[in-house]
Order: sequence, then structure tokens, then C-alpha cells
Amino acid sequence: MSDIVIAASQFGKRYARHDAVRDLSLTIRRGELYGLIGPDGAGKSSFMKAVAGVLSFDSGTLEVFGSRIDSERSAEQVKGRIGLMPQGLGQNLYGDLSVEENIDFFASLRQVPAEVARERKEQLLATTRLAAFRSRPMKKLSGGMKQKLGLVCTLIHAPDLIILDEPTTGVDPVSRRDFWAILAELVASRGLTALVSTAYMDEASRFSRMSLMHEGQVLAEGPPEAILARVPGAIVQCQAVPQIEALQRLSGRFAQCEALGPTLRIFARDVSGETARAEVSQMLAGLAIERLDVLEPELEDVFVALMAEQGRLEKPQLDAPLAAPRDEDTSEFAIEARALTRVFGDFVAVGDVSFQVRPGEIFGLLGANGAGKTTAIKMLTGILPPSGGAGRVAGADMKKAGALIKSRIGYMSQAFSLYLDLTVTENIRLYAGLYGLSREETRNRLEWIIGMAGLAGHEGDLAATLPMGLRQRLALGCALVHRPRVVFLDEPTSGVDPLGRRAFWEILFHLSRVEGVAMLVTTHYMSEAEHCDHLALMFAGRVVADDTPAGMKQAVIAEAGELFEVSGGDVLALVPELRESGFDSVSPYGKKLHVLTRDPQRLGEVVHARLPAARIEARPMAMEDVFVHKVTQLEAAQRKGGT
Amino acid sequence: MSTRTREIVLAVRRFQAMLVKELKQLGRDRVLLAFILYAFTIDIFLAASGVSLSLNNAATLVQDHDHSAASRELTGRFRAPYFRIDGQVAHDKDGLAALDQGKAMVVISVPEGLQKNLATGRQTPVAMQVDTTNSVLGFLATSDAQTIIARFGLESALAKLGVAANAGNMSGLPVVNNEIRVWYNPNQDDSWFMGISEMLNIATVFSVLLPAAAMVREKERGTVEQLVVSPLSPLGILLPKVVSMTGVILCGIALSLFLVLIPVFGIPVKGSLGLFFGLSALYVFTTAGLGLFAATIARNLAQAGMLSILILAPMLFLSGAWTPPEAMPEWLRGMMYASPLHYYLDVAFGVLLKGQGASELGISIAGMSSIGLGVFAAGLLLFRRQFD
Repeated sequence: MSDIVIAASQFGKRYARHDAVRDLSLTIRRGELYGLIGPDGAGKSSFMKAVAGVLSFDSGTLEVFGSRIDSERSAEQVKGRIGLMPQGLGQNLYGDLSVEENIDFFASLRQVPAEVARERKEQLLATTRLAAFRSRPMKKLSGGMKQKLGLVCTLIHAPDLIILDEPTTGVDPVSRRDFWAILAELVASRGLTALVSTAYMDEASRFSRMSLMHEGQVLAEGPPEAILARVPGAIVQCQAVPQIEALQRLSGRFAQCEALGPTLRIFARDVSGETARAEVSQMLAGLAIERLDVLEPELEDVFVALMAEQGRLEKPQLDAPLAAPRDEDTSEFAIEARALTRVFGDFVAVGDVSFQVRPGEIFGLLGANGAGKTTAIKMLTGILPPSGGAGRVAGADMKKAGALIKSRIGYMSQAFSLYLDLTVTENIRLYAGLYGLSREETRNRLEWIIGMAGLAGHEGDLAATLPMGLRQRLALGCALVHRPRVVFLDEPTSGVDPLGRRAFWEILFHLSRVEGVAMLVTTHYMSEAEHCDHLALMFAGRVVADDTPAGMKQAVIAEAGELFEVSGGDVLALVPELRESGFDSVSPYGKKLHVLTRDPQRLGEVVHARLPAARIEARPMAMEDVFVHKVTQLEAAQRKGGT
Repeated sequence: MSTRTREIVLAVRRFQAMLVKELKQLGRDRVLLAFILYAFTIDIFLAASGVSLSLNNAATLVQDHDHSAASRELTGRFRAPYFRIDGQVAHDKDGLAALDQGKAMVVISVPEGLQKNLATGRQTPVAMQVDTTNSVLGFLATSDAQTIIARFGLESALAKLGVAANAGNMSGLPVVNNEIRVWYNPNQDDSWFMGISEMLNIATVFSVLLPAAAMVREKERGTVEQLVVSPLSPLGILLPKVVSMTGVILCGIALSLFLVLIPVFGIPVKGSLGLFFGLSALYVFTTAGLGLFAATIARNLAQAGMLSILILAPMLFLSGAWTPPEAMPEWLRGMMYASPLHYYLDVAFGVLLKGQGASELGISIAGMSSIGLGVFAAGLLLFRRQFD
């Protein structure tokens, strides 16, 4: 029997007007953890549903477990060996049933003998550490726990192939790492084959092989390392003053050049790290270079490079003429929260939150789902009255001058709430009307927004027909129509592809640096936190850290030491041993381990005692490491306090 | 420009922007538009032409044991359009079976010796079995049949007494005649009543449903948050919605009036159309308060729809369109006076058929507007509270 589990050849799926997937060919062998990586609308779900036999397709061939899927009957034959977990947190589960009842339901649905089901359930509950919550209703679980339960329910009939559609979307970084570790363990120990999709480019290292997809096409296929090698080059990260001058110089030479807070990140293609460093230093001659690092490119850089090859890099027009800025308010802070509190019943959604945002600053509010970010924003924008505390926004008191604040701020809500049945122009005109702009002003701003968002040629299109990236920039434009000095952005980039995200951040950067607009942004993409000048990390309704990204990293280094990556061999098995030896901050990172320690020598001793071939390398700390470290620490403290 | 005028200019611009948006959104919702169009034209046509509250062609079977001229004369009087003789049955059980199977609605049994008894001056019972599953029709059939048989009996008795009484002509006899004058609907045309009440019902349904749907759609999509953070007040969000929906419903009423009710069914407009549309606007606008109430509680379109049905069902039943208040139990009658539709019915029939003016309808107008404004204020209050 062949060990090919899925074989697709020139697979294609069409919806009424557009191709969801074109010419997709791939082969997945037994025991592989195969990834489909790409932004929303890349065609991942369509292909996965076809493999699971729940969606018909239009062209090409598809074989699963050696049998050709071409009819409902043939799909039915292999369904028993497949487990499918659809997209969305707890989408296939029942909110009012407990953890155990959900599992039992799926077991009886799949007609697993009672005895077998019980044994398997206990094993899986133990592996996923859900055993303690077995009688809790599903809807009361956290996002990460819902996904683990979904995984258990998918595995209860011991399928040979599991298909997981974006299992980590909307899950906080700590739970995401946990989920991947459990998945890797299950795939290895049960000889499973897994087809998993994700929109997070930084999750690529989890897969044995993968396809990088965009708009129904495969851009690259193979092991992560091979895909990274497709576009050779080096990343240079530097801090130079003045930043805007440095950016202008560099962006002329390098197509991929973006600002991350005070840092500039440049992808120098087809050159070695040393050449890149020399070239950048030379171009910045005369400016004060405060820091310059050379790194390896990541998958997102490669994705953007591949798109740039197709000439699809989006450049927003930011040089459009601007009318004189509004009367400047003289207050030192654009946003100031003092001990803001919001209580729902006996649940403290936001407790005693204080922070300040200066004009021209991009301020990031980080935290897992349910940490209180959205509630905090809603209080500051006047959607939700606070239970306690005070705040000043755009120079006015939050409690006394709600109406005044509303006319001075811009707000872009989660999932860009545009009117989908109105056209681009109609949406802009609506918001212009709401903010009372005159006909003259409306015309000027309309022109500016169309240029800024790259919407030229789409003026008469319904918002519903725009791709996500354009839709997002239209929403931003609508929030900026009255030239506010303060803008609130709640998860502005979820569901947008890396190209769209880059263009979006470029606009935000321009607004903050050139026009002095203050911005408060929430995000769950940890890599985006690097774009912010200042960050506040929220946990269980409180701000637990408030610093610049660099400051936060420094604080973690001072507290727990530098970051080391352990790789090579079965390093995941070392986790318990490392923890016993006193390395508190050990977390699995794909097939590698990330360890924070001040004593790399002892780390080497402990690791090499078990795995002599393992590599230990120092790595620059990413925001995700900071987040995981902080949250793990806080959760541990909470558990200790609770008992 | 003073701050006061500036405020007004801003408010007008906001209102305009929202109004244009609402109308455009409605205009692009093809399904909803088609539904509105259907409800205000075809549905009203069907209700006016199909639904009848009178007895028409009641299937009648005759069991004639007498086989005489008298029995034929009697059964011959069960005539169209009220009755339709479908034939004879020989046995009791055949008659019962036909009733059981719904093949007949009325079975008349004439006993043996009818003619003989009439000649000799003895009384004769004629048996009648009626299917009253539909209580209204059953009641009508019974009373019509009673009248026919009583009249036949009377004439036969008079003939026996030697008084010449040709059918229908009893002049010169001491009989009390009931001379009826039918006002406002001279042909007692059901389609007038049904058509108008259906139009009012549809207007009521949409005046609850449309604002509720428009509001909940914004909630579902999340756009309502965007509106709340803009300088719009809750009233500034609501008013354009209610105003635009009122406009749409008034257009619907005009459609059904000028395309269906007047040309097809010949409904006379006795009173002032201006008054009718003015009062309709007031009614639709205030009833929207109930839709806002539904939209405040509901989290999605399905919930809003179900809540609207829950609100609408008692409103329609207690309006008096189907049962007059006098025929209702006392405790229900009280609730009826709380239904704005009850007053709107009086107003609409009053203006359209009776030609009443504002002064004659004073009480109904007062009732409708006070209850309506109360409902609207309550809806607005609830709607605002969800943002506090």
C-alpha cells in the first residue's frame, strides 16, 4: 500500500464569479504535518473542504487514501478515516454542552464503541490538559481551550487524516504555542497525517512541508527552509535619526523597506548579510545610526518578495496635498486614561487602567482575547460609560464632553464596519455627512482618501466586492474623513494579507510622523506590535507592562535572561527535564525550543547531556517571546494566588 | 455664523447623509423591495378578491322522502349563489358520510307526507344537518336555511287559509317588513372591507418590521458602533431610519390604493386623501416604536423577525379588523383599546368609505396619536438605554 494520503493534481474550484483555487497540485504522505499558509481568500478552506469530501470541485483530480474523490459516494467511503475541524473558534462544538458531553456526542456520532471511546477520551483530555474542565460548558472556555476541545472531538474516532482549518486564528500566542505543541505530539505519537491551514506567516516553522498560497494560487511549495531559500537575501534592522529621512533614502533603493516603530526593516535581496550591512550604513551616512542588526529573512519577507516579483506590491499615495491641520490643542497627551474601570456584574472587564498617548505616537494595546482591550477602547471612544476612573481624549474630558470628543476622534472598529451595500464614494460621503463636512471639504477629502487608500478605479464599486486590503483602507479613510487628531483602531489588520498590512502600516506611520496624529491600536499579531512606538500589555483587565517595544524586551532580558533557540533532534522531549533543572521560561516553538536564561552554559550542559547533536543559538527577542514570557508568568502567579 | 446656526447646519447635514444612506440601502435590497411590492399589490389583490365572509355555493344534498310537488318546491328554494344542490341521497348514512368526508356542507331531509300534511293542515318537521367546522359559514348556512324554510311554511300556511300569496308578494297582509338601507358599501362587497383591512395590516407589519430590520442589520454588521462614536445622537441615528421607512410604506399604501383598490375593486374615496395619508404617516411613524423595541432586544435579524411576529400577532387580532370590539370578551376589549391599529382602522374606513373629516374622527385620531407617541417614546428610551 502506498503511503500517499492526499494527491491533488491541477485541482480547481470556481465560485460564481471567481476562481477560489487554480491549478493546485500537491502530494501529502503519511505522518506529515502539512501546512497551507496564506491570507484570507487564498483558497485554503475550499481545498480542505474538498479533501474532506464536503465540497465539490470543478477541475483536476483529487485522491484521498488512494481512492478518487469524484462523487458523493466516493467521498463517503473515506470520510470515516478523516477528521475535519472547521474554521472559527468552537465552530463545530455545542456551546451549552460540557467538555465531556461534546466529546461523548462526537464519539457516538462516529459510533465509537463505548469502552474504546472512554479510554481514548481520557488519554486525549490528559494530553490537552482539559481534564480539569470536563464539566465546564464549552461556551465558557477560553479561545485556546475551545480549539483544543475541537481537536479532541476531531480525534475521538481515531482518524488517519485530520484536517484543521485555521485552528489558531483568534487564539492568543501562549495558547497558540500550546496548541502547536500538542498537535505535533499527537501527530508523532499516533502516526497521524495532518493538513493544517493558517494565516500567520510566523507559524510556518511548525510544518514539515507546506504550500504558500495567495488568491487561489500556490506561490511556493516545499519544506519551510526550502521556501525561505527561494528568495535569498538578508534583513537589516536599523534605527537612525531622523527616521523619516532614513526611510526616504532607503526606500529609493530597496523595494521592501518598512518602518517598525522607531526601527526600519529592510530586505536586501540576493546579497549576503555583510554586504547588506555595508550598503545600508553607506546610504545612511551623515545620519545618527543608533543600532544596526542583520537577520535572516522570515516567511513573510519571502511572501512579499514573491508578490513583488509579480508586480503586486501596493504603494499608497501619501503625497496628496493636505489642507492646513486643524486648530492644534495644546494638551500634552492626546489620550490619557486614569484608573479606568469597567465592571459587568461581578466581572471586572477593565480594572484600574492608566496610560498616556502623545500626539504623533502609535500606541499599541496588546493582549489575548478577553483581556479587556476592546472594552478599554469602547470607554475612551464613548461607546461604553466607565464604572470608574477618568480620561481625557483630544483635549476634552471624557465624562463631561462626550459629544466634543466624538467630533474630534476617528474610530475604526473590529472587522471594518463599512456599509457593504454602498459604493466606495457613498461610504465616504456618508461619513463626511455625519461629521458635518461642507460640500467643498467633502470633495477634497474624497480625493485624498481615494488616493491614500489606492481606491482609484474602484469609486463606484460596492464595498462588498472589494478585497480585504482595500476594504480595510476604505474603513481607515472613513475614520479619517474629518481629519481627527486622535484615531482608535480596534484590530485593524485581522484577515488582511501581508501586502495589505504593510501598506496599511505605511499609512499609519505617515499619519503619525508627518501629520502628528495620535493612534491607539489593538492587535493580536505580535509581529505588528513592533510597529508601535509604545506598548501596553493587558492581562485579565489590567495593564501589566507599559513601555516601548525595546524597553519591554530589555525588561524581560533583565528579568529572565537572553533568548536561546534549541533545535536539532527531539528537543520537545526535553521540556520537563529543563523545567526541573530550573529553566522556568521554556516554550516549544515549532520543532524547536525557546528558552530564556542568564546561564547559557548550564543550558548547554543540560541539553547536550541528552542530545549531544542539539544546537543552541542566541536569538533576538521578538514581541511574541515577550508576550509569552509575561503571560506565562502572570498565569503562574494567578494559579498560585488562587490556591 | 453663530454656534447655534452652525449646530443646525451640522444637524441637517447629518440627517441628510443618513436619509440618503437608508434609502440607497433599501433600494439595493432587491429581495426586500420585491417583498414590499408584492405585499402592497398582489397580496392585497388576493385578500380582496379571494377572501369572502359570505355564504357562497354551499354544497347541499337533499334527502327527499316525499317526492311531491311541495318537497320539490321547498328544496328548489335553496338556490345559488348561497346554496348549490349537489344531488340526492337515499339513506341517512349516505348523508352523514358526505358530511364526514366534507363533500357536503348541508343535508336537508324532507320526511314522507309533507305535501299531505300541508294539505291537511298538520305540522311537518324538516331535518337539516349542517357542518359548522367553519363557524361563520355554518352560522350563515343555518340562518339562511331557517329563513327559507320559515318563509315556505308561512306561505304554505297562508295558502291553506285561502289567502292568495304569490311568492314574495304579501301586500295587503299584516306582515312586518324589514326594509334595509345599506350605507358606505352599497353592494355589501366583501372585497372593500377585506382589501382595506389587508392594506392596513400590511402597513402595520412593515412599520414594525422595516425599522427593526434596518437597525438590527447595523448591529449585526457592527456599523452601529461606528455611528455611535460619530457625533450622532441616538435620535440622530433613529430618526432618519424611521422617516425613510415611513416614506417607503406611504408609497406602498399609495401603490395599493391607486393600482389595486380603486381601479380593480372600485373603492370610492369619499373623504380627503390628504387627511388619509397624513394620518397614515402619523400611524406608521409611531408604530415604528415597536420595531425599535424589537431591535433593541434582538441580536440578529432572525430574532428581530420572531419578536416582530410576537408583537404583531396580538396587534392584528385585537385590531377589530376581524372581530368588532363588542363581540370580544370584556377583558380583551380593554386590550383592544390599547392597540393603535384599532384606531387606525376607524380612521381609514372613516375617511375612505364614510368621508369623515378630522373633526368627526377626533377621538380616534387622539387615541391613535397618544398611544403611538407613547409607544415611540418608549421605544426611543429603550434604544438609548442600551448605549448607557
